[in-house]
Amino acid sequence: MLSRDAEGIYWMSRYMERAGHVARLVLEQLDAVQDRPLGAIERGWQRIYTAMDRSPGGGELIAGGENVDEMLLDAFTLVDDLTFEPSNPNALMSCMAQARENARQVRSVISHEMWSCLNVAFLEMRGVRLQDIWIDQPQGFFRDVASTATTFSGIADATMYRDEVWHFFLLGRSIERAQRHLALLDAHIGLFPTEERHWVFDWGSLLRVCEARGAFRRVHSNEYPPGTTVDFLVADPALSGSIAHALATVAAACDVIGGERQDEPARIVRRRVGRARALITYDWPIRNAHDDAATRAMVKALLQACLGFHTDLEQAYFRYAVRDMSAGQSR
Amino acid sequence: MAQDGHTDDLFSDYEIAPEFPDEMFGCDGEPHPQCRELWAALRAMPARQIVAMQEQAERSFMRDGITFAVYGDDGAQERIIPIDFLPRIVSARDWRQLETGLAQRVKALNMFLADVYGAARILNDGVIPVDMVLGCPQYRVQMRGVELPHGIHVSVCGTDIIRDGGGFKVLEDNLRSPSGVSYMLANRQAVKTGLRDLFRRHSVRGIEHYTGMLRQTLADLSPRGNSDPCMVLLTPGIYNSAYYEHMFLAREMGIELVQGSDLLVHDGHVFMRTTGRLRQVDVIYRRIDDDFLDPLVFRPDSQLGVPGLFHAWRLGNVGIANAPGGGVADDKSVYRYVPDMIRYYLAEEPILANVETYLCRDPEHLAYVLDNLDTLVVKMVGESGGYGMLIGPHASRAERSAYAERVREDPANFIAQPTLALSRAPCLASGRAAPRHVDLRPFILQGRETRIVPGAFCRVALTPGSLVVNSSQGGGGKDLWVLDEPE
Repeated sequence: MLSRDAEGIYWMSRYMERAGHVARLVLEQLDAVQDRPLGAIERGWQRIYTAMDRSPGGGELIAGGENVDEMLLDAFTLVDDLTFEPSNPNALMSCMAQARENARQVRSVISHEMWSCLNVAFLEMRGVRLQDIWIDQPQGFFRDVASTATTFSGIADATMYRDEVWHFFLLGRSIERAQRHLALLDAHIGLFPTEERHWVFDWGSLLRVCEARGAFRRVHSNEYPPGTTVDFLVADPALSGSIAHALATVAAACDVIGGERQDEPARIVRRRVGRARALITYDWPIRNAHDDAATRAMVKALLQACLGFHTDLEQAYFRYAVRDMSAGQSR
Repeated sequence: MAQDGHTDDLFSDYEIAPEFPDEMFGCDGEPHPQCRELWAALRAMPARQIVAMQEQAERSFMRDGITFAVYGDDGAQERIIPIDFLPRIVSARDWRQLETGLAQRVKALNMFLADVYGAARILNDGVIPVDMVLGCPQYRVQMRGVELPHGIHVSVCGTDIIRDGGGFKVLEDNLRSPSGVSYMLANRQAVKTGLRDLFRRHSVRGIEHYTGMLRQTLADLSPRGNSDPCMVLLTPGIYNSAYYEHMFLAREMGIELVQGSDLLVHDGHVFMRTTGRLRQVDVIYRRIDDDFLDPLVFRPDSQLGVPGLFHAWRLGNVGIANAPGGGVADDKSVYRYVPDMIRYYLAEEPILANVETYLCRDPEHLAYVLDNLDTLVVKMVGESGGYGMLIGPHASRAERSAYAERVREDPANFIAQPTLALSRAPCLASGRAAPRHVDLRPFILQGRETRIVPGAFCRVALTPGSLVVNSSQGGGGKDLWVLDEPE
């Protein structure tokens, strides 16, 4: 397939996954704002911004506020920053707009149903401002966006032909998912150390952002003990939101798109994926689950691998130097 | 009768003007024979039902992104081309005349292009002024001596046809990147779905095979002659006003939609950059202008084209539709000579007439134009899309005076035509049928054989009284029903 199409599919998929993730993050935080102690709410904001590696527009987040009105005012500003702020590349509207722009680029290779789903959602969101939805159930808006992202993914699954286009779609979705979940996990463990008395709400909300709470309840319990929760999110291969599952998908997709290519750029991609998977398969289980520093070091190593995938893919498939490909010319 | 006491007849306020032919009615107010059934059925249908269908179709265009971009002060805006849900009917006999006339015209235009870039017989024989052709900004000296397989310079042509009291006339030939075919197909799909029973009863000829015919026409250009050539559609990108159409055609033909940066020339061959390897390209359906096609030959600052493409094409290693340099044949001045081309190359009389055209480069014509600005439409030779023109009868004295000054400064850049009594067709306006001016743009495909689908992008001037049908100027579209031959 055309390299530019592959890149467009990959980014469309990443941005839709990111939009869903941001929507769920905000949704969880809005729930927290309803009834959580002020300190927990502040830690919730810090979790979001640390995971995004961003400071809110007005400056640094400062803990210790005790005024509920101020907290609600802050909540409005922060939700606006996460949703509509044009200068925030991870803001929900930016993600939707980027997903749509990429989808426009590749409309001739994605299904009509995928385009319609994304286009209709975008057109409905366009022009909405936070003040329009803040009083009257802002949760409904974020729930709709999260639902759109999931629906889009389902439509792709149901309508896409299983050729390279599909595998680049999977690559985008899986890499984005792994990257977002790892960054969130790292921030979460830093803010909610496992040795502290754990709050069911905080760990349960982590699972919910990762669309894993229902599965966790069925497999484990509704207590959400920190160590088990982290293991579940990282290493359970049956959980579609786990890092292990995302990496397995990336590896399988790389095998297909790489085909029989034995050139160095294609090998580099496979090598990095293999190493990351080995970390979970061989090193993850034997660490001390109560040692947050060790856990975070491994989470960071996995995150670095995910960041590296993108550069590798770019060099192997999207923007390779032509001299690398001269042997593969087809006439 | 509607519940509010008003008649619900769609045509209750419809006015026939004797000076404008009507596509549905004769001067006596009676519908043309081929329109009788449609008229009766539309009258029997609640107006609000048709309005609802039209609104539904427009919503679906927006949802499906069947849009074009309009550039203004606030950047590009995505808009739909408004659809008018009342179809225009063309009888089988009228279509036969159009079809043969268009095929004749495109054949002559292709011969003209082969000639002016070759032996230039038509210039040497004094049929067309030499300076008009060689001085035309669209004449490409780089094309001199290029011989194309089957002599096909123009593979895809969109010809604008109007009808006035004298019958069908050609208003303009679009030989570079004619657009609108995707809207023709989208309008058909919407109207066919909405008016399904009526559509079936009318034996309307199908147009859905257009993209198949286009694919076949492009395949005819493949230099390797292989049965499954690698073909691509070259687009300027998502910000081009016709991007939807580019995407649509590529998708429907099952070919890659590429941008200049996706292609490269190596060893005189064109390749596209795929995820697995470089793949040789056999045919390029380009939807970018000559100027931007190859920065090594045309505009050096072009970011949209492919360096070396023209060279690869001249070597015969890739086919390009349409071939560069075709703009000289759809120049607004050269247009006047198309009937002469037909006589010169084919020794036939033109089947479709031209609109009378005055060339301001000719002092006599210039004097006439300046004396009669209030009755003429004056156009700039190098402009299209309805930009830069003066519609004399609708312009104020001051506007005419300012325009006259511009014409005097650079007469060769202007042509003038009489203000046409453009035919009108019923269109929905505020829930009623109202007459609006229309034209039509059929698409002619020239490969080893000539292919024309029985249909056209029928353009409508939605503003009452307006003669400007261009989409960029607020025009809309309607479905054109070409009826099957009676058994």
